[in-house]
Amino acid sequence: MKLKVKFNALTAFWILIVAILVAPILLFLLNAISPRSLSQGSEWFTLRAFTSIAHGQFAQGLFNSFILGVLVAVLTAFLATVIAWIVLRTNSPIRRVWTFFVFALLLAPSYLIALGWQRLIEQRGVFDILGIPSAGIRNLFYGPVGIFIVLAVKGLPFAYLVISNSMRSLGGEFEDAIRVHGGSRIEAFKTMATLLSPAIWSAIAIVFAETISDFGVAATFSSESHFPIATYSLYLAIENFPANYPVGAAVGTVLLFLIVIALLLQAKYLRGRSFRTLSGRTRPFRTIELSRLGKWLSSGFVIAILLVALGVPAFGALSASALSGVGSPFSGHAWTLMNYKSVINSPSLHNPLLFSSKIALIVALFASILAAVCARLLTQKKAGAGSQILDFILLAAVALPGIVFAAGYIFAYNLPLTNSLGIHLYGTTTLLGLAYLAGALPSTSRSLVGNMSQLQESLSEACRVHGSNAIRTWIDVTMPIIAKPLLAAFCLTYAGTLLELPVSQLLYAPGAEPLSVGIDKALANYDYGGGTAMEVLGILSALAVVAVAYSLFKLLAPRGWKRIGVARGK
Amino acid sequence: MENNQGQLVTVENASKFYGELAALNSLNLTIEPGEFLVLLGPSGSGKSTLIRSLAGIEKIDQGRISFADQIMSEGDKHVAPEKRNLAMVFQDYALWPHLTAEENVAYALKRRSLSREESTKLVLEMLDRVGLANKRGNYPSELSGGEQQRVALARAIVARPSLLLFDEPLSNLDADLRERLRIEISTLTREIGASALYITHDQSEAFALADRIGVINKGAIEQIDKPEKIYNKPATRFVANFTGTAGHFRGIVNSVDEKYCNVELGGDLLKARHTTNLEPGMEVDILVRPAATSFDSTGKNRIKCSITDVAYRGRGYDHAIETKYGSLTGVFDDSAHDRGERMEVSIDPQRCIAFQIADSKVVEGLARI
Repeated sequence: MKLKVKFNALTAFWILIVAILVAPILLFLLNAISPRSLSQGSEWFTLRAFTSIAHGQFAQGLFNSFILGVLVAVLTAFLATVIAWIVLRTNSPIRRVWTFFVFALLLAPSYLIALGWQRLIEQRGVFDILGIPSAGIRNLFYGPVGIFIVLAVKGLPFAYLVISNSMRSLGGEFEDAIRVHGGSRIEAFKTMATLLSPAIWSAIAIVFAETISDFGVAATFSSESHFPIATYSLYLAIENFPANYPVGAAVGTVLLFLIVIALLLQAKYLRGRSFRTLSGRTRPFRTIELSRLGKWLSSGFVIAILLVALGVPAFGALSASALSGVGSPFSGHAWTLMNYKSVINSPSLHNPLLFSSKIALIVALFASILAAVCARLLTQKKAGAGSQILDFILLAAVALPGIVFAAGYIFAYNLPLTNSLGIHLYGTTTLLGLAYLAGALPSTSRSLVGNMSQLQESLSEACRVHGSNAIRTWIDVTMPIIAKPLLAAFCLTYAGTLLELPVSQLLYAPGAEPLSVGIDKALANYDYGGGTAMEVLGILSALAVVAVAYSLFKLLAPRGWKRIGVARGK
Repeated sequence: MENNQGQLVTVENASKFYGELAALNSLNLTIEPGEFLVLLGPSGSGKSTLIRSLAGIEKIDQGRISFADQIMSEGDKHVAPEKRNLAMVFQDYALWPHLTAEENVAYALKRRSLSREESTKLVLEMLDRVGLANKRGNYPSELSGGEQQRVALARAIVARPSLLLFDEPLSNLDADLRERLRIEISTLTREIGASALYITHDQSEAFALADRIGVINKGAIEQIDKPEKIYNKPATRFVANFTGTAGHFRGIVNSVDEKYCNVELGGDLLKARHTTNLEPGMEVDILVRPAATSFDSTGKNRIKCSITDVAYRGRGYDHAIETKYGSLTGVFDDSAHDRGERMEVSIDPQRCIAFQIADSKVVEGLARI
């Protein structure tokens, strides 16, 4: 009997998903238990890799990551709840600017935040040059405290977005009901905290996963602070010669296991509890009028957090890029734009920025298109097994540490089997691009799922019964309605790819270095001024592209497209 | 633009399954050219599945759907919605939020290949017809629910389709608007001469709109006929129940003639019409239409009752009453009676119908209830 395989666009989509998302990760993780099946050892099944990471540096790294994850998650959930309350429930003046800073924090990779702090407090850094005593803070920062602060700064926007979304939908009637039935302010607050608890648990789980997956801080502080963390141990296992893939895979598996445990605990807590707080009858809550002192205190609290999170690292990067001789014991120091000039004139400094800009543009474009397809498949009314599998793959991939992802790519596309299939992508820019795409796809798809699920099926159905075919319906109805979220997804993917670290570090092709690798190399060559100028230019270029994209949308998009999501009456 | 001739629509043995559940169960239906057919049924009866299958949004698993002599769905054949020359008004309006009222209506004319001027003229005429010419530039979010549904109606009608489908279009509107829009739907649809299928769970809407009514239950048509026939001669207890009752009494048939039966309620004897073959001793349910009841003390067929509630209705008062055998609502009188007042309710035998209770056996001797 002849097996008939139907090849269509959906089959091609699935082949792509397996090739760029599923196969590399599974093959890499398989190393941990069956090295021989992938020509990495002599045993078909063994737990040797796990026993070898059960002590020494690896065990210490995993333990440190776990403790950091728990502490950072709890602290950020607390801070995010307080900030969300100040921003959403009070008339504190700080609420007007906070949203902008949340997105700035979301865009800034942890290694750039860490580097900003480093430039300030390192020996012969900006503080030393400016004569500000920094030995104390230096000793404190190059260790668990510094790592903790940077990771907390990175976790805060995630926790805030989850908790603030929930708080926004918590109507005023719950509080009113408690008060009119004789409850005190404290009782009202307790009830509100209970109603918010699903969001708080979600925030803790998400920040825990983000924290133990982070590679940026591992690549900067951890390597210099003698405080091992798991992602850096994994990096060393596959980057040292000879590479020890089974051990790297074992560390990756334990990291994934910890993330799964966190998500399961969250699910267990939420099971059977339904705190649905959003309905068509939800009444807006009353804004709490703060006293003058209250306004000062609330604004001061948020500003202090912003200073630590963004102000200090931004000042570190800007000042280091505008000072000559940072990090050098010999030369004099002066305020100058020479570092920027040298980035513009030196190909070794500006080529990484140009390269990353180009590849980020291509990746963002493809990721947005594919993410729209994924989101549509996930939200269609008749969700079949395919949608459920895709949902699981994307969810698992969101939780996957970037470093495990990159390691999976190195391993899978370096296998003799892959070469014998005629796939020679290892060490090419194409592979880097595919890894960027695969890394961006899960979160980009997830960011579109919410908007896509709000797109009522009847809008498309109305289009079909009034004479348009499926493609025309996508162009005429689906695209305009999701245009704005799609633009946001494009911008986030662009900025994320431009500044990406772990995949860039492990997969860049010789002669085509991405921005993060270029910065790292400049810093490794003690060109602190040039490296930080690259950082600043990289961030400015990302902001410029976002500004251009939104301006073009504002100028060129039809009026109706721009109205979607705008509140009535505006 | 010329009106399209209304479409002859035939549905033969159509079945549609969702897992184990049969949403359509060998359903048969014909809509004559230019006819306004209303399908009346409760939630989950299969009416939405049927209308969506006619639109081509859903595929039937078995059976056939034809428009005139053209097969739309049968086996693997399934004509796409855009090729069926129909239009539909959705329950949630389904207006495209990024297009203005004018653009929404104009969209339906794209398939007609008209010049821009012709298209604009038709759209404005149609918007004027539904009273929204002054809101042509408004986006759906700037229109009220009733206005949105009128735009949806204009969009459906502007291209003069041969078949119009209405998926509970008035269910999201308040009572006053519902009545006004119902009249607009009725007149506009008949003006363009299209065949129309309208689904609803509201019997008053069905009776007001339909040339014929089909009552649908568990994926099959229980009865299809003119509104008067459906009301006066319901074929089944379900049809009678779904087309409006004040309440029901259970009893045992005492005697039967050609048209009426006497039913022993347990002390009182009530005369009722019957539509199926009944025998003395059978256990029956008597369904009482609201119009059957009055406080006429000279009437026959009277039962003692007490007033439990009274509601002012402008032209008089509706009463809820309690009898020894059950309660009735909507008992109308020109004057109000006090709660707790003892009265006698008179029931017109012509407007109450006895149905045999499924699986009931003939009971020998006296009534058991």
